[in-house]
This record gives sequence, C-alpha cells and structure tokens, in this order.
Amino acid sequence: MKVQQKKQFSSFEKHSQKIFFFGSILVSFGILFVTVGGSWDITNHLLNKPETFFSLPHALMYSGVAITLIGVAISFIGYRNLHHFKNIFSLPLRIKFLGIALLTGAGPFDFVWHSNFGLDGLLSPPHFTLIIGMLFCSIGGMIGISRFLKLKSSKNFLLPYLLILGVLPVWLAGSGVISSLTLPFSNTDYFQFNPDETFAFVVATIAFPFLISFSALMASKISNFKPGIVTILGGLFLLIYGMTAIGPNFSMLESAEFYALNLIPFVISDLILSFGKSKRSSLLAGGILGSVFYMVYYPYVMYTYNEVLLGKLVSPSMIFHTYFEIMPQVIQFTIIPAIIMGIIAVYVANRFSKKISMY
Amino acid sequence: MPIIHLKKLIMMGIVIIALSFYFTLTVFILPEKYIAKEQLVPSPYLEIELSSVEITLGESFRISSISENKGDYGDIHIVSAAFPTEQNIENIVQIASYDFSNSPQFIEPGEEIGAKYSGGLEIVSAQYPSIEAMNRPVHPGTKYVMDLQITPDEIGEFIVYMKSIDIPHSSSVSHFPQSGQLDHQGEYVLVYTVNVNP
Repeated sequence: MKVQQKKQFSSFEKHSQKIFFFGSILVSFGILFVTVGGSWDITNHLLNKPETFFSLPHALMYSGVAITLIGVAISFIGYRNLHHFKNIFSLPLRIKFLGIALLTGAGPFDFVWHSNFGLDGLLSPPHFTLIIGMLFCSIGGMIGISRFLKLKSSKNFLLPYLLILGVLPVWLAGSGVISSLTLPFSNTDYFQFNPDETFAFVVATIAFPFLISFSALMASKISNFKPGIVTILGGLFLLIYGMTAIGPNFSMLESAEFYALNLIPFVISDLILSFGKSKRSSLLAGGILGSVFYMVYYPYVMYTYNEVLLGKLVSPSMIFHTYFEIMPQVIQFTIIPAIIMGIIAVYVANRFSKKISMY
Repeated sequence: MPIIHLKKLIMMGIVIIALSFYFTLTVFILPEKYIAKEQLVPSPYLEIELSSVEITLGESFRISSISENKGDYGDIHIVSAAFPTEQNIENIVQIASYDFSNSPQFIEPGEEIGAKYSGGLEIVSAQYPSIEAMNRPVHPGTKYVMDLQITPDEIGEFIVYMKSIDIPHSSSVSHFPQSGQLDHQGEYVLVYTVNVNP
C-alpha cells in the first residue's frame, strides 16, 4: 500500500513539474509574441506613422501579454502542487511574477499615456515598463525551462532544443532594452526622450555584441554544447528581425541577401562550440559573434551611429544607403570593443548558466 | 592523436574560409553594390480643379486636387493647401473628400513648420493657415484626392496656394511645382484666386 502511495505521489510530483514547465513554455512563447509585435511596431511607426493605439502590431503585442499571463498562472498552479522541488522552481516563478506585474501594468499605463500625450516614442515610461516586464518574464521562462530540462536530464534528443524557445525571448527583450536606450526615436511634441548621441553610441557598441554572444553561449552551455542550438537560435533571431524590420520596408527588400548572410557567423560559432567544447573555443565563438553585431542589428542600429557620424536626416527609404555609407567608419570604431564584449559575455554566460543549473 | 590534429586543422580551415567569405561579402562587395545603386527619387504631380473664379459673398466654391507620384517609391507624399489672405479658416474651409492614409494637419499662424524642402531641418514660423495632407509610404503611380469646400466670409480676393512634396526630397524633381511663386516656407506653389463679390 505504501509503495503504491509513494508511486502515486511521485507521479503527481512529476505531473506538477510538467505543468510548471508548460507554464514556462507559454511565458516564453508569449514574450516572443510581444517582442515580435514590438519590432514590427517600430517599423510600422517609421513607415506609416499610425495615429491610433489600435494597430496590428499592438494587437500582437497585447495578445502576447495575455499568453504570458496565462503561462504565469499555469506555472503558479504547477508550483503550488510541488512538494520536493519547490526550491528549484521558486526563483523562476518569482521573476515571472515581477515581470507579469510590470507587463500588465504597462498596458493601461500605455493607453492612458497615449490618451494624454498622443503617440509616444520608443522610450517612454509605459514602454520602458513594458520592456523591463518582458525581460523579467523571459528570464523567468528561460530559467524555468532550463531547470526542468536539467532535472529531467531526458534522453530525448529533441527536448534540449526547447531551450531555444527559452533563450530567444531573452535575447529579443534584451535587444528591446538596448534599442530603447540607443535609438533616436523617442522625441515627441510633449517629451524629448531621445538619448544623448555619445551615450547611445557607447551603449550600442558595448551592449549589442555582449547580448548576441551571451544569448548564443547561454543556449549552447545549458544544452551542453548541443550541435545546431546556436545556428537555430541565430537563424530564428535573423528571421524575426528580417520579417519585422526589413520585410515591410519595400525599399530594403533587396538587402535581404545581405541580411541572410548573417547566418554564417552563427553556423561557424555552432561548429566551434559543438566540436571544441572547451573554454578556448567558447572565447573564439564569443569574439566572432560580438564582432558581427552591426550586421546582425541591420538596419535600425544605423540610426544610432548616424547621429554621431553623419547627423543626416534619414527617411525610411534612405536607411539602406546610409547604413552602408557609414559601415566602414562604424566597423573601424567598434570592431575591437565588440570582440572584447563578445569575449566578456562568454565569462558572464558561463557564470549565469552555472547559477541556473545550481539549485 | 594525428587524427585529432587533422580534425582541428580542417575545422580551423573551414572557420577561416567561412569568415573570410562572410566579411568579404558583407563589408566589401555587397555594400559597394548597394551604394552604387541610385537612390529612389519620388516625383509628385498635382492637378487642380477650381469650381469657380467668381462668387458672391455667402456662396461656396470647391478646389479639388488629384496628386500622383510619377517617380519611384517614396516614404511620404504631401499635398498642402494654404490660405495667405486668411488668419483663421475654421468656419471657412471644409474638407469634402480625402483619401490620404494620415489625417489632415491643420497648421495655424505662428506654428513652427519646416522650410526650403529640408524635411524639418530648417524651421520657420507659419504666417497664414494651411492644411497638410499626408500619405505614408507612396508607391509609384498612386493617386490621392483632397477636395476642399470653401465659403469666404469677406469680399475681395480669396487666394489658395497649392503644392506637393515627396520625401525623400533629393532634388527639384521631388516637389511640384518646380518654379513660380514662393510661399512662407520658401517653397514653390500654384496660386489660385477667386473673386468674392458683394
């Protein structure tokens, strides 16, 4: 009888863990929606200058918030029924709670802001609340997914690839934070929130290479250098950015071939990481990934560097030309710090992945 | 041992070749190709129809504009109607039909506006009211309509300035008309006069 009770208990525990895991997947999926909608929204503002809060990108963003909210609720249900592994899942749940509080608060805050001050720019109090909420939720989702996979240490070959769904939203949300602090898209009739051009230049040069390298290395390290992880992660990032930032802009369609080439550094880094599996190979991959940030963040990163290097008024159909016009100068100024930041990110990703794995 | 070394060597070779290929294409070959390509030049054209040149006080007249982009794809297509003999058009000008993507902007005297086709880099203060219609983006061959119904409230000449500008504005091809009278923004306009009789 006792053995049967024990079996039942163990099965209930496993079931609760799976529920928590499913909640984490939903959270990450929801944030993916929000970030895709956010990137599309930037392009929509640039191209069409929408005059109302009710737009398709906004609908995508707020349906992502709803999915995230459901994900957090499911995670909580799973967590409540846990007995042995509560300590493992308490950190991701707390981060998710913090994130969802900010996210759900940002919606009405944004609507009130729009109603009082018209359409806001990229950086505004409600938008920043939303982006920080996205970042917290995505980190909570990623830790939840990672810890579940670590705990299961499943022999299922495909399961570790779910990590991509955990890391990609963190990368996209992190890109959102950096973009809002560096792009000159935030001045409105009421507020002048555009960042100082030198500050933006420095932050973009430091933070973008760091984030690319950190995201790729995190995914690779947690999955124990599974081949293909970095390629798929990088490929999905490029696909999302390509579809939301390049696709809608008729004048930039031709440059899709240039953007597609950015898959190469991810494939190379994947090869280096999965074959080398050593510290030296991680550093090499980190350096490579850091060095290509100007190409990976095509086209909008141009606006940050244009402010300092040219100061030209760039309308959407001129992005293409201006981006390539300043490219030699940008690479000259940023290549060394970008490689260094890519390498630093390897150390940070290493420590972070260890923290995630330790309960 | 030698097999491991060979594997490493092959790997190094692949990495170096792939990186060289990537950087050569993305930093040298493709940018040069893209920069060599001519920039897109949109070119507006404006057709105006005035319902009457003589009216009596209390009557209305219509000024209809059909604008078109006869050039390449552009980011913004603007049609502006300005009223240099007026200071307030609130009860005088009504928009009868309008199919631009963005709502019309009503500019009042004293407001800061862009000048000399600079896209906002040069600013002047508006001396008289105007209405700005805007479509974003603008594909080649697309046409837009703005129809104004005007009821002057004073006897004398009622003047309307009409113009169209496409952005990016790289040369005189991107504005219409390309010569004639200059308005308060230092930009060329078509001038239409209606005599309002007692």
